Amino acid sequence: MMTTLKNIALWFERRLHLVKLYEQTAGHPVPKSTGSWFYTFGSMTLTCFVIQIVTGIFLAMAYVPSAAEAYHSLELLNYAQPLGWVMRGMHYWGSTMMVIVMMCHMTQVFLWGAYKYPRELTWLSGCVLLVLTLGLAFSGQVMRFDADAYWGVGIGAAVGGRIPVVGDAVVHLLLGGPIIGTDALSRFFSLHVFILPGSLLAFVSIHLRLVLGKGINEQPKPGVLVKRETYDQYYHGIIKREGVPFAAIINKDVVANGILLLVIVALTLFVGPKGPGIPANPPLVIPEAKPDYPFLWLFAAAALLPNGSEIWLFFVFPAIAALALFALPFLSNEGEKHWRRRPVSIAIVVLTYLGVGLLTYEAIVGPWSPHMDAWSGLPIKAEYIKGRTPVELQGALVFQNMQCRNCHAIAGEGGHRGPDLTAVATRMTNPQLVRQVIQGGGNMPAYARNLSPEETRALVAYLCSLHPPNVPPAREAVGVLKPIGESSPTPTPGGNSVTSNQ
Amino acid sequence: MNFSWPSILLSAGVSAGLFAMSGCDQLPGKPKESDRWQPPEAIKDFKTLFGANCSACHGDDTSIGPSISVQNPLYLAVIPKDILRKIIADGIKGTPMPGFAKANGGDLTDEQVDILVNDLTSKAAQQTNLPPYSAAPGDANHGSEVYNQYCANCHGQAGQGGEKAGAVVNPDYLHLVSDQYLRSVVIGGRPELGMWNYQEFVKGHPMSSQEIADVVAWLGSHRLTNQEGNAAASPTANGSSQ
Repeated sequence: MMTTLKNIALWFERRLHLVKLYEQTAGHPVPKSTGSWFYTFGSMTLTCFVIQIVTGIFLAMAYVPSAAEAYHSLELLNYAQPLGWVMRGMHYWGSTMMVIVMMCHMTQVFLWGAYKYPRELTWLSGCVLLVLTLGLAFSGQVMRFDADAYWGVGIGAAVGGRIPVVGDAVVHLLLGGPIIGTDALSRFFSLHVFILPGSLLAFVSIHLRLVLGKGINEQPKPGVLVKRETYDQYYHGIIKREGVPFAAIINKDVVANGILLLVIVALTLFVGPKGPGIPANPPLVIPEAKPDYPFLWLFAAAALLPNGSEIWLFFVFPAIAALALFALPFLSNEGEKHWRRRPVSIAIVVLTYLGVGLLTYEAIVGPWSPHMDAWSGLPIKAEYIKGRTPVELQGALVFQNMQCRNCHAIAGEGGHRGPDLTAVATRMTNPQLVRQVIQGGGNMPAYARNLSPEETRALVAYLCSLHPPNVPPAREAVGVLKPIGESSPTPTPGGNSVTSNQ
Repeated sequence: MNFSWPSILLSAGVSAGLFAMSGCDQLPGKPKESDRWQPPEAIKDFKTLFGANCSACHGDDTSIGPSISVQNPLYLAVIPKDILRKIIADGIKGTPMPGFAKANGGDLTDEQVDILVNDLTSKAAQQTNLPPYSAAPGDANHGSEVYNQYCANCHGQAGQGGEKAGAVVNPDYLHLVSDQYLRSVVIGGRPELGMWNYQEFVKGHPMSSQEIADVVAWLGSHRLTNQEGNAAASPTANGSSQ
């Protein structure tokens, strides 16, 4: 019996060479020092990718990539399909975590100098994987086909259209027509489920082949410099001295991946999937369409950039960043690997994370859009209404009715595009307010044509009442100016009327 | 490898437990029907409709609007239902009140306007012998006496404003409000701002409909004519346009 089984096993082994495969992969010797928590991010990224494939297959069973049906198929998954929302949540949080752990992996590889000789191609294939993963995150956001997705594609297409010479062709290739509809959605669907995952699988294979072929980077020691002539021999020596089979030091990977899985499941169950939000219907007023987490920093950067510098953000900066990433292993091919002796590298990492982190924070809290419903749906707090004269109350009515509130908050409530006007009377006088209202300026439109003189005066009278009880309103630095030869105007009580003698 | 197997089992166990919980409807991550986006036309709830469309100018249970409170029971008792509906749907020309019906460029369907009207009128005060909502123009000369009797105590001599309340003869104010608005305010008062209604100005002596019409006519007589208004409108003395 045993002999028969052994013969069967041998028959397969002679054809599949499984022992050799084991020796070359899980059994291949790696430096013992790589059994470290810092070396677990790569396998975590791979785990995320596997979760994305599995949950993505389930989602594809229900998802309909057509402009008319996509949104409804997400609602079906969310509300009708058993565990449909769990699959959506796992896919969303799996994607978010994949970008995060991939960045951790890349940072670790960078700080540990693992991109240096002889692992240049491992780094380059990793850079391609970064681009593919971000491509998957962006195209995945489009799959929701809600307002966020719609405007995200719109911005993507607008950026593409700025490319010199081929811009129009690129946009047409991306959208399949002049509008963002089913043609565009099918193209992003093909990208998201065939082209990008297929390419990712191919590059993961290349990446892993290179890791196996060139070995996992040993834990660098300060002062031990990489030299092309001696490194191979040095690494060989480490393997010989302290090499252990890869399979023997994966316990930390297993734990880290278990925790990762738990985090993704917990986020799914306790926070849930994202959206779908407001449908992708251009006539619906969308006060604030925002991209998913990985692109928030870019969104904030685009919003904060001075007018006219878009070309720098969308073309020059990405070109320089891509060039720097791909050229890194050749610019810094030898020398010190340990981060303690590479202050410039540490500065690059710290500044990058600070920049991305701060921009992401700004994107989350920033007052990017007017509060479109404030004029009709956000009452002014009672203390800013009480005690006002009838004309000031009419001014407050003009303030709401002309939608000033959509951009200007009172007591922190309202839009934040323009300054908060809670105490505007302490910093601007009546004539200054009149000028600002009728001429606009500083990103505010001029309202001269939209307000009657009575409305302007009532509005300014109300604004002049906005000062704390213990702080007097602003005064003119000089007396009221008058044309030569005219009698002095009669000052009016409270300084609320600008036109007493005009 | 010693400690990894318990870790694997633990992870698997916790994962299985979390997955089992996913069948549970109470999980905070499960999308709720109430979070589902619905088109604005589908909103049938008075509170939501009023909050989104009316509250910013007219106030609600918890806030004060700069314009008259449309939840004032006395105002609601006086205004005929069809006029209330017309005002909400079509707005009032020449005042800040816009039309909210879709036919007038607003966002509300006819059904939503009806919901607002029906719910508001159900809050009307159950009083009889109230003055009519509108009346023919009154006598401004007599209105001056009426003003001194009922209003001057708070709004000051000749309507120039007093300690308790501001000026009511300000030309800008009068330009921005209609006579009907003045009448509605006199009848219903602004209790949310401390202004009495027509029954309370003089205790035991409510204003008559004619007296209200007269005081409104007197107030209206302080409006500037177009010519005067244009002269006042020019922000600089040399008449440069704005």
